[in-house]
Amino acid sequence: MMSNLVFLPIFIPLFVGALLVFLKNRHQLTIKISYLTVLLNLGLSIFLSYFVFTHHPLVLETGGWKAPFGIILVADKLSVIMTLSVNVIALASVIFASSSVTSKMTKHYFYPLFFILIAGVSGAFLTGDLFNLFVFFEVLLMASYGLIIIGGSKQQFRESVKYILLNLFSSILFVTTVAFLYSVTGTVNMAQLGERVAEVEQQGILTGIAILLFVVFATKGALFPLYFWLPKSYIVPSPVVSALFGALLTKVGVYSMLRVYTLIFSHKLELTHTFFIWVAAITMLIGVIGALSTSNVKLIIAYNIMPAIGFMLLGIGTFSAESLAGTIYYLIHDMAIKAALFFLAGLLVWHAGTSNLNKMGGYIKTSPLLGWMFFIAALILAGIPPFSGFIGKYLLLRGAFDEEHYFVAGIGLLSSLLILFSVIRIFIGAFWGELKEPKEKVRRSGLVASGLLIAISILLGVGAEWFYPYIQSAADNLIDPQIYIDFVLKE
Amino acid sequence: MLHYYILLPFLAALLIGLLAKKENRIHTGWLVLPVPALLFIIFCSKLPVLAKGKIVHSTADWIPSLDIQLSFYLDGLSMLFSLLITGIGSLVVLYSIFYLSRKEQLVHFYVYLLLFMGSMLGVVLSDNVFVLYTFWEFTSISSFLLIGFWFYRERSTYGAQKSMLVTVFGGLSMLGALILLSITAETNSIREMIANRSLILESDLFIPILILLLLGAFTKSAQFPFHSWLPDAMEAPTPVSAYLHSATMVKAGLYLVARFSLIFSGTDAFFIIVSGFGLITLCIGSILASRQTDLKGILAYSTISQLGMIMAMLGFGTGVAILAAIFHIFNHATFKGSLFMIAGIVDHETGTRDIRRLGGLYTFMPISATLAFIGAFSMAGVPLPIFNGFLSKEMFFDSSLKLEQSTGLAGAFAEWMPVFAVLGSIFTFVYSMYLVFGTFLGKQKIDQLEKKPHEAPIGMLLSPIILIIFVIGVGLLPNLINEPLLAPAVAAVTGDLPHTHLAFWHGLNAPFYMSLLVIGVGALLAYTLKRWQPVYNMIPRKFSSDHWYQSIVNGLLKSSKSITSFYMTGSLRLYLSIILVFLVLTTAIFIYLTNGFILSFDDLAPITWPEVLVGFVMAAAAIATIWMNKRIAAIIVVGVVGYGLSLLFVFFRAPDLALTQLIVETISVALFLLCFAHLPKLKKSDKRPSEKLIDLTIAVSTGALLTIVAIASHSSKTFDSIAEYFVDNSYKLGGGDNIVNVILVDFRGLDTLFEITVLGLAALGIFAMIKYRDKGDMNQ
Amino acid sequence: MEIVMSILAGTLFAAGVYLLLQKQLIKIVLGTVLLSHGAHLFILTMGKLNRGAPPILEKGITEYTDPLPQALILTSIVISFGITSFLLVLAYRTYQSNKTDMMDQLRGTDDE
Repeated sequence: MMSNLVFLPIFIPLFVGALLVFLKNRHQLTIKISYLTVLLNLGLSIFLSYFVFTHHPLVLETGGWKAPFGIILVADKLSVIMTLSVNVIALASVIFASSSVTSKMTKHYFYPLFFILIAGVSGAFLTGDLFNLFVFFEVLLMASYGLIIIGGSKQQFRESVKYILLNLFSSILFVTTVAFLYSVTGTVNMAQLGERVAEVEQQGILTGIAILLFVVFATKGALFPLYFWLPKSYIVPSPVVSALFGALLTKVGVYSMLRVYTLIFSHKLELTHTFFIWVAAITMLIGVIGALSTSNVKLIIAYNIMPAIGFMLLGIGTFSAESLAGTIYYLIHDMAIKAALFFLAGLLVWHAGTSNLNKMGGYIKTSPLLGWMFFIAALILAGIPPFSGFIGKYLLLRGAFDEEHYFVAGIGLLSSLLILFSVIRIFIGAFWGELKEPKEKVRRSGLVASGLLIAISILLGVGAEWFYPYIQSAADNLIDPQIYIDFVLKE
Repeated sequence: MLHYYILLPFLAALLIGLLAKKENRIHTGWLVLPVPALLFIIFCSKLPVLAKGKIVHSTADWIPSLDIQLSFYLDGLSMLFSLLITGIGSLVVLYSIFYLSRKEQLVHFYVYLLLFMGSMLGVVLSDNVFVLYTFWEFTSISSFLLIGFWFYRERSTYGAQKSMLVTVFGGLSMLGALILLSITAETNSIREMIANRSLILESDLFIPILILLLLGAFTKSAQFPFHSWLPDAMEAPTPVSAYLHSATMVKAGLYLVARFSLIFSGTDAFFIIVSGFGLITLCIGSILASRQTDLKGILAYSTISQLGMIMAMLGFGTGVAILAAIFHIFNHATFKGSLFMIAGIVDHETGTRDIRRLGGLYTFMPISATLAFIGAFSMAGVPLPIFNGFLSKEMFFDSSLKLEQSTGLAGAFAEWMPVFAVLGSIFTFVYSMYLVFGTFLGKQKIDQLEKKPHEAPIGMLLSPIILIIFVIGVGLLPNLINEPLLAPAVAAVTGDLPHTHLAFWHGLNAPFYMSLLVIGVGALLAYTLKRWQPVYNMIPRKFSSDHWYQSIVNGLLKSSKSITSFYMTGSLRLYLSIILVFLVLTTAIFIYLTNGFILSFDDLAPITWPEVLVGFVMAAAAIATIWMNKRIAAIIVVGVVGYGLSLLFVFFRAPDLALTQLIVETISVALFLLCFAHLPKLKKSDKRPSEKLIDLTIAVSTGALLTIVAIASHSSKTFDSIAEYFVDNSYKLGGGDNIVNVILVDFRGLDTLFEITVLGLAALGIFAMIKYRDKGDMNQ
Repeated sequence: MEIVMSILAGTLFAAGVYLLLQKQLIKIVLGTVLLSHGAHLFILTMGKLNRGAPPILEKGITEYTDPLPQALILTSIVISFGITSFLLVLAYRTYQSNKTDMMDQLRGTDDE
């Protein structure tokens, strides 16, 4: 009975999304329903997490077909952590949207697309079937295609064409690769894939397939040199959409890597995972260099997605219990803080009436709350203790040093400095200096949404002891894939 | 209990931040003053405990799972720093009450100041290295905020950013060192690290750890070549300069070196790096100080130089040197603190800090002038028994002559130490005289001042007077603080309690001759300063540390721009090409490395000609698409591929697929016709042949790669497919004859549900795109 | 036969990729269609071709073609169709609002 709960985090937003299609002209009602839904979903995912951590993981055999034949949804520790985080972001997004999404945007199906995006992301985190993962990828991508063009400016169309084409290519590659993998292993169930790939010790073409899959996930997850499409396409839509993209979409790529390269392809570590480490290092460096290259506030934040992804991949590449915990910690932290920063950047740009940093100044006088929130968010992003970024970074660096990846760890430290530089530039440029006339007042609900996420980030750092043991136990389950395999296949 | 002492300033900051109103009847400083004063008294009350050779410690949980614990301890070294932090802190707050007008944003100021105070206490009391790091970064942040206090001034924001970048750079390398230390010594506690020091000394990583750690210390303590942030930090209000940027925060680097001395001291690397950079900093700082025209600028370079001197002594590592270092940390805080406050008074009362516009102020402000003279003479090391600075300088000379290093590089280094010590001290003497004589004696230039100078109010003078009392008192009776304060601090650094008696007169020994030399040459140079000062202008700007900083930052921004615009061209073709090249190269390399390509002709279906024929037509049509210049023609050839595919589905016994493909293809063609009618005509490609060749190479290699992987995958079927289950159970359990249908609606029903969702979303998107056409951007 | 089909699918991929690298949006859209066809052919080939009867149960027949790839292709065809349609309309709207369908004029480096 309990296992049916696993479907709800996917089903509720899907259902509400479908429902809201018919309520597109009822703006206020839509907002109310949205609040109810995200709160319900959040409560549910809290309960789910509680259950999984205190009892056991849950496996839902959809249609009653047992693994590996039917599609299963698996709520293991990692998955429930991810689902919970998604729903926190969803709550903050609805708060932000309540004042920033106009009734016109509601008419353009903002809320249906939003909820189905959430359903797709949750589905990707919960599914135990590789082809089904592809399907959820398509769901969340299709929703994102719809979201990115809401507003209909010519920049949006221009960037969304590129965004869609690149994602379409990687989706086609994804489905092809799943077929290759099916040919070799005769299955698409992730647990069974893990079992069978282990059985032949990842011989033959399997490593090649692993790399194909890596390219797929790396394109979604924005790794060097595959992310070039990302920064500009993430800044054209409305801030709440940017925040959703920045917080969730790339993380689905990271999650998939985290899953696939621990559960399935973890038998040629010296080749594949060493490669990951180098990709991680270059991603960090080139990403943060991008963040320093521009004076466009939104673009600075968008570029900062990359170094964070680099850090997470570093943990996967290092492949120790410590570093995987670091990746998970960083993943959660980054979801919250990236969403917060996209919110804040959006508020700032509205306030200033421009996204050009050189045309801003002195806003600490006109909107001190926004300024200080931005300052704290900048520190959190840069991994200054005792905030959330530090805990993840600490685990990752420690893991890297422990496994003697000194050079890459050094790059990690250096990019932390440059991350701080890139965002503190915004603080100094926009909030200090001579006051330049602001355009409009800062929206209160936007500050509430950002404040919520910042508070969570602070809590994740200061109260690390309340979270870390759970995250470590999730990571311990990743390092030993047999736990997952046994649970799914031999229940 | 130590937790509460650290917590107190943070709590006070919170309270003041929340409760204090912008317009207060009394100066906010009065509300703040009790905090450091109370803490000072508390720390003083612990002095007897420490004198007995005990230490105070306490631990509380923070992140026990990561062994990051709030464990603090108070030994001699922490005690010295705690007293400086709270003692000078009290005086600075008192001074600031008169210095800062109530029109300023006082709440901000004191919140930052209290944050700093708490963090600094945290730094010097932490036993856990990562807790230390946390507080360390917080001192950088509060310093950033204080330097940027007058945030509308460009110089302030420049200085704030610079100090943050330099000190956080150091902080991060220190973090690297601390992680490595914690891994090597298998503990996060400083005291346990010291106990396990053999693990560290024997580690291969000893040198990297040392360098990374020292980077943290050197940046914080403004050692060459990182010193240039400190002069720019002078944009902060003067109380801040006196507190953070001379007496306390900049000494955190010294604290770090002293704290880890028990691990590193005695090794040649430590000696060479620490005393080497210390002495270079001493010389460069003192030489550059005489060049400055801003009073606070002179003091800033003077601070750099004095910090270098203390650093050098920590590098010497001998008992005498450490005692001298500890003693000088105390002395420097007293005389430099008072000098900063006097500089602030001069600024406050005359409206300028430019020494070229000052002179002869003695007649207007005799008390300030007297205090300044005492402070400056103590700094210069004038041999009178009332100047504490002389005593520690003498010990510095003495220790530079009694180095233990005699062999190898370190030995050669050691021989030169006294020379640099004297050189640096000569210029120290010069700028000290330059500072006070230029300001208080000489020609009066009142006409150049904004207001008529007069003596400062007593409240403002109180703090420097107290500090000068310490200068003289300790100068007269140094042993008063030796036993209770200095000796335990030295013991914490060297491990042994020293039994040195501090005295003014040691006879006509070498250090005394060195002092005489310093004063002789120094007086001469000071007297002739005006004549040789132009020599400074001959130093090219590219040798200055500020220039290096600017080139690095500007170079970074500029090269970021060029690197990024190099690949961020917005060109889909470029992005795709890079992705494809990466895909092909990495996959090919990995297949090569793992011998992944397997070709097996077993278990293949026989080649039958109808299929091959259809395939051939499809391939031809696909390739032909490239050259199609008519929209209709292009749609037709693509259609051929699609219909060919459904034919293949028929051949390969996939009736459902064939049917679906047929329908979808037909609708697609219709859609294409509809949309293409609204799109411009196909143009002939105007690409250069070389571009075409690149496209072709990428296209062919992508196709080839996938073909290779496909063949290899097909050749390595090792397992039975789960599909057999579907065949066996389709009817039995699924209730349908058509296995594919049963899979779709039953076995894998979830896929189908979400496949429909995708279709629905697409319809929604299309509908929205067509129905609502806004010209403008509705996001704004 | 599987090898021949793999080569055919590879050829479709190559042609699709070549079109994807062109400047004109229409050609790029056509390229994505070819890519999907190539992918579906790959999936089909990854089952075993021409072995056994069509996967519709009949009495007396025990050997059937692998039904799973067929099911996956069906899902994928529908999804591709949705995305292609969306892309077509988007291409049309992009052309309308940006007044060009040439990708090198849609770089967007000028308007920041």
